[in-house]
Amino acid sequence: MMNMVRTQWLLLFTVNLYLYAFSVAPERAANALSIGANTLGSVVLLICSVFGLVGLLQTWISRDLIVRLLGREGGVKGLVIATICGTVLIGPAYIIFPLLMSIQKQGARWAVITIVLTSYAVKVQMIPVEVGFLGWPFSLARAVITIGLAIPTGLIVEAFMERRKL
Amino acid sequence: MSKVGLVYLLIISTVYLFLAARDRQKTGQSLRVAGKSLLKLVPLLIAVFGLVGLFQEFLPPELVTEWLGESSGLLGLLIGASAGAVAIGPPLAAYPLAGSLLDAGAWPPAVAAFIVSWISVGIVTLPFEAQTFGSRFALLRNLISFVAAMVGGLLLGMLL
Repeated sequence: MMNMVRTQWLLLFTVNLYLYAFSVAPERAANALSIGANTLGSVVLLICSVFGLVGLLQTWISRDLIVRLLGREGGVKGLVIATICGTVLIGPAYIIFPLLMSIQKQGARWAVITIVLTSYAVKVQMIPVEVGFLGWPFSLARAVITIGLAIPTGLIVEAFMERRKL
Repeated sequence: MSKVGLVYLLIISTVYLFLAARDRQKTGQSLRVAGKSLLKLVPLLIAVFGLVGLFQEFLPPELVTEWLGESSGLLGLLIGASAGAVAIGPPLAAYPLAGSLLDAGAWPPAVAAFIVSWISVGIVTLPFEAQTFGSRFALLRNLISFVAAMVGGLLLGMLL
């Protein structure tokens, strides 16, 4: 429900911008519309394929499996698994947060939760789309750096969380 | 770019055919999940690509270089990360917008900070995160992820 309001908010905003643009500068507004449509057209196949992959990942790699993997391992291995899980996990915040909280209640470390939420910024299944818009060097460098920073970020957040207990 | 899409579509279709031979029901479910997720995103995609068109036609490149260009330095980095933190939407929407910024002359580290904080920092979802994990964790995590987004952007600038 929240999601619906959000998406429609952006669509409404864009439609209003266009209405305004058409009333002020109709030719340029039409030009903008055709640029947008062309850009969408150039990636529409890619987007469809990406969602094909999204469907596969969601049914063949179940969320239960991810919960089991994350809850069980405590050490460095657990942190690495968390990083990998974050990059393939998909879904809006209102699904991811409760899922991670249930893992935390099962005994997973705060670092694991944070790492998943950080490496979440790399979406393996979306990489072709990112490359299409931003190019290989940028996309690759961004993915490597985000993954590299996930574990340090997790450990810092965990260190702050643990301090309260002392 | 549409050629890449075609190749990608071919690969995914092959995987589907292969998996359908193994487990028809599960593969059918994958296809349904795929269709549903895509359909749910259609209004947003229209909005985002509409915005991309408006950006390219109306946004003066000088404005982008001034706020997000290389000469804007750390301020540009901060602006990029802040815009990402406020923005909401799936990662898919971030790439085309980031692409238009890059084309208009934005500094790559600022754009990288924008994408990373778009996905891992959420001002709008903060109340929900606090409700789920407690406010201490939610605040700490978002703050540190915000800094990490900027550090990551700077590292990217060094790598490229």
